[in-house]
Amino acid sequence: MYPRSFHYHRAGSLKEAVTMLGQLGKNAKFLAGGQSLIPLLKFRFANPEHLVDLSFIPGTSFIKEDSGAMHFGLMTRHSEIEHSALARRIPVLHDCAAGIADVQVRNQGTIGGSLAEADPSGDWANALITLDTTVHCLGANGTRTIALSDFVTDAYTTALAHEELVTEVVVKIPPKGSGGAYLAFKRAAPVYPSASVAVQLKLAGDVCEDVAIALGCVGLTAIRATEAETALRGQILNDKTVATAAEAARAAADPQSDMRGSAEYKRQLIVALAKRAIQIAARRARGEKVEGAHLYA
Amino acid sequence: MTEAIKNGPTWVGTSLPRKEEDRLLRGRGKFVDDIKLREMTYLRFVRSPYAHARVLSVDTSAAEALPGVVCTITGKEVAAQTQPFIEMAPGQGQKIRDFPLAVEKVRYQGEPVAAVIAESASLADDAAELVQVEYEPLEPVVDSEEALLNKSILHEEAGTNQVWTGIWEFGEVEKAFQEAAYVVKIDRMHFHRFSSTPLETNVVIGQWEPKEDRIQYWCNNSFPSFAIQFIAAHLMVHIDRIRAQTSDIGGSFGIKITSYPQMAVCALASKKAGGRPVKWVETRSEHMTASAHGNERTFRDTRVALDKNGEITAIASRHIDDCGAYPRYEPLGCVIYSQVFCGTYRFKNARIEFTQTVSNKCPVGPNRGYSRMQHLWFLERIVDICAHEIGIAPDEMRLRNYIRPEEFPYTTPNGCVYDSGNYPKMLEVAKDLIGWDAWQKKRAEARREGRMFGIGIGTTLDSGTNNFGQSQIVDPNAPFSGNSQGANCKLDIYGEVVVAVGSCPQGQGHETVAAQVVADVLNISPDMITVRTGFDTERNVHTGMSGTYASQFVVSGLSAVHGAAQKLKAEMKRLAAFVLKTSEDDLEFGTGGMGPEVKAKSTGKSINYWGLANIVNVNSAVLSPELQDVTLNCRYIWRANFKVPDKEKKYGNLTLTYSSQLHIAVIEVDRDTFVPKILDYVAVEDCGVAINPRIVEGQVYGATAHAIGAALMENCVYDAVGNMLTSTFSDYTPITSMNIPNIKYGHISTPSPFTYSGAKGMGEGGAGPIHTISATLQDALFGQGIFINESFNNANSIFRSLKYREGGQLAQSVTLEKRV
Ligand SMILES: Cc1cc2nc3c(=O)[nH]c(=O)nc-3n(C[C@H](O)[C@H](O)[C@H](O)COP(=O)(O)OP(=O)(O)OC[C@H]3O[C@@H](n4cnc5c(N)ncnc54)[C@H](O)[C@@H]3O)c2cc1C
Repeated sequence: MYPRSFHYHRAGSLKEAVTMLGQLGKNAKFLAGGQSLIPLLKFRFANPEHLVDLSFIPGTSFIKEDSGAMHFGLMTRHSEIEHSALARRIPVLHDCAAGIADVQVRNQGTIGGSLAEADPSGDWANALITLDTTVHCLGANGTRTIALSDFVTDAYTTALAHEELVTEVVVKIPPKGSGGAYLAFKRAAPVYPSASVAVQLKLAGDVCEDVAIALGCVGLTAIRATEAETALRGQILNDKTVATAAEAARAAADPQSDMRGSAEYKRQLIVALAKRAIQIAARRARGEKVEGAHLYA
Repeated sequence: MTEAIKNGPTWVGTSLPRKEEDRLLRGRGKFVDDIKLREMTYLRFVRSPYAHARVLSVDTSAAEALPGVVCTITGKEVAAQTQPFIEMAPGQGQKIRDFPLAVEKVRYQGEPVAAVIAESASLADDAAELVQVEYEPLEPVVDSEEALLNKSILHEEAGTNQVWTGIWEFGEVEKAFQEAAYVVKIDRMHFHRFSSTPLETNVVIGQWEPKEDRIQYWCNNSFPSFAIQFIAAHLMVHIDRIRAQTSDIGGSFGIKITSYPQMAVCALASKKAGGRPVKWVETRSEHMTASAHGNERTFRDTRVALDKNGEITAIASRHIDDCGAYPRYEPLGCVIYSQVFCGTYRFKNARIEFTQTVSNKCPVGPNRGYSRMQHLWFLERIVDICAHEIGIAPDEMRLRNYIRPEEFPYTTPNGCVYDSGNYPKMLEVAKDLIGWDAWQKKRAEARREGRMFGIGIGTTLDSGTNNFGQSQIVDPNAPFSGNSQGANCKLDIYGEVVVAVGSCPQGQGHETVAAQVVADVLNISPDMITVRTGFDTERNVHTGMSGTYASQFVVSGLSAVHGAAQKLKAEMKRLAAFVLKTSEDDLEFGTGGMGPEVKAKSTGKSINYWGLANIVNVNSAVLSPELQDVTLNCRYIWRANFKVPDKEKKYGNLTLTYSSQLHIAVIEVDRDTFVPKILDYVAVEDCGVAINPRIVEGQVYGATAHAIGAALMENCVYDAVGNMLTSTFSDYTPITSMNIPNIKYGHISTPSPFTYSGAKGMGEGGAGPIHTISATLQDALFGQGIFINESFNNANSIFRSLKYREGGQLAQSVTLEKRV
């Protein structure tokens, strides 16, 4: 179907975008890559009267390293991150970007839009929550910085005010000896995962010094599997500790039964993905090059 | 384009690159939605959110008041000026009243109740939202066995949900059971509902010009001659007043055969809009919920008798087919299955009780492998389960039961004549290609480690060029029998060779193969031949059976082309003999300095095609009186040599050719994710003589991918109240390249004795992978005590079966009775 008719506005600067949205009021929305918004418009599930396009604002698509952190512009496309040598240095980011949907979606979709959409099955929020990530925003009252864990508050809900923009996503580069992996189970390419697991850990010899584990698509927002983390922190990584952590992840998941699988099956997937992701993360922490590929049905 | 090169003695048999490829790959194809007409209007349907409900009122006033809306049309208006569509079911089924817009009731989610026609497609979408429909929900029926209880009846006029029922019984079934060494019983098996997802959805432009009282269609229906027969009777117009044209079609897989209701609405809407053309482009969600799905079938109380060697001696079973809310093309599926009644096997005694029912789901339509794949799957499950129960390896079991190569042409228990085949040879080729012995070793190792590892075989048939006389088995009064196709071959005014066929290809390469056939007849290059495909009533090369369906073009289409080319050649000979003053025997066809020509061997004199065409078309005074009947414009209607089957006994030859397929898969089920991963896959095809081996191979890959999707990913799911849960690609997950394994292709050729070329129809593929993947999973899971009794299996369902098995909740029953 075609969307209901709407007015299209093109913002020339971030500031102008914020002002425009404030003036246009509640029935206005930002348009980034359109890969979440346009399908909703076409189904007429969302019917905004005004769209403010962010695509033509200069200087909003970048990947750069600055004072120990990686910075992504709001309009940085999934595919740019997928192909960035810089971003590859944090393997979770590459795994995540390269596995989102298909080439067309990756060429259009943006990291800013993805976080702002806060889809419970979206990949970015789940992958980034295992890293020290902050979201930079610009609103009517100026800029502010929000930790990712405080940014996504519920399914499809964020801390953003109506006219507030995500301007930049900043990820602290993990210390030496760290490794990470992001694995999702997908039934087909252009489909959100049925379940996903992100792992970021730091090894000292065989001992896991620190670890963050997050579970995606199995709750209203990404779930930090803190019990699973506890099962690994300070422990030697072996089949037993990994299995214990994976079982703890199963317990932490809170999935719904739907077309992607039964709740019980999704919990099982979490176990399988957690085991593999921990193992890949550990190998990467030891300096091995491991291609992390999503699992397909 | 590069010049065509022959890689054998004839063009037939050459892997000629497709003539249509250049156009299609460069985006220069012409599809219905590319057609722009003056004063075009756009139609959008208003659809029911309920699966079963009474329509209390339809209020279109707000929609009509919207600027840019041309008109609206409701079910009541349609019913007032039309006849319900023809029903092919006899008896109570005849009473079903099927209108293209719901009149009193809606019977599936997505059924259209009204349509709005506007100046633009987006305005039509806006207006559709403004139509107010009041419904009174009724109890939905989504399960076929429940439907048969008639607690909630879909078509009150018919008084029952049962559309059709009949018994096929051949041989001495009970005697075979009495004498059996083993009897295997399988309580329930179920073949799931899936569909096709052509790149291009259904698209129609309809125009009913009141002044001329003439209806024009530009459409992508894949069996237009059938569609216009339904439409003409429904609209009560002479069929000659309907012109239907197709152009390039972006896939059909049979599913586009049943777009005639939407086509009818476009005509009625156009009439109401004062004759302006009305375009309808189906959205993907509409396609998924409300175009057509494949038949769903449940197999109940199956009994199999076997002798002490594991040879099947009899099968008895009850089949319940679910055709969705309206029968439409059905109950043809109730007889079409019997084209492959015994599959590839020799058993002589069988009793099948076949019943079809309606349910509150999308109507079914012929879907690649139509009605036969369900039955072939049923037979393949029987073979694997019986083999396992009595302890015979699945390959050995098949060899013991296959029809022997020397038995062809083979008459099946129900009188079908299998033209040719060599199933043991296909098995051998497939085993070689996959490395059977090596995989057997790997499987043994894997099983020692407790891994779920399977190797499985699927044997299947692709029956093509059907005898429409089989419709009389479901309805003794059906006025159909035989099969026919038309073609025209001419030298145009400047001598160009132009071929026209009544088919509507959707990627099957008809332009190419037709040119190959004519090139051999005239001994010229296929590059010199123009082929006009695409149905057009006014091109006058169609019969009532023209279209592209049922794996038959290579037989019906090319036989017609061949006949027309020979007729043309005969005329050219007569004319050339006259001009060159020689006898017909002295003539040679070929290409000279002035292009394609006919030459007198004795004198060396020749006349090119321009010369021949010139005489007939613009220089006819030079013609001698005996040659006045030469037209160089030759139409040929090919007819299959069929008889009307015995309706009482349900006996007779139902199909002309039987391509066969044998697939082998190797699958490991991951112990953590339960994903069935295909480790190796082989598809072997036997379609007799391949006119263009490359096209054949392409069709095999396509059919294989489609059915791997059906086996593992694609399932039309309804909830208990008839909501369709798989209306988007995100939910339905059609197969993509990420899920297709590397397919090893092999072929053998057993030429058909029944076709002029030895070719057998192919392309549907018999859904080989559904049988093969079920067999392979079965092999992997027998060890876990699981019987594969569903055609759809994915990681989630395998996980569920294993869990249920652990918990003792698995409701599956297979029993073996040993009498030796
Ligand atoms: C077929 C398909 C499959 C997909 N599969 C996946 C998948 O597997 N995994 C996955 O993670 N995603 C998937 N997506 C979604 C995709 O990643 C989207 O690109 C992403 O969710 C949204 O980004 P966008 O730039 O397209 O945002 P848009 O669709 O343009 O906007 C989304 C929402 O965010 C708001 N917004 C956008 N940018 C900003 C900003 N800078 N500040 C504040 N608000 C903003 C918009 O107003 C809108 O409400 C899929 C999409 C499609 C079409």
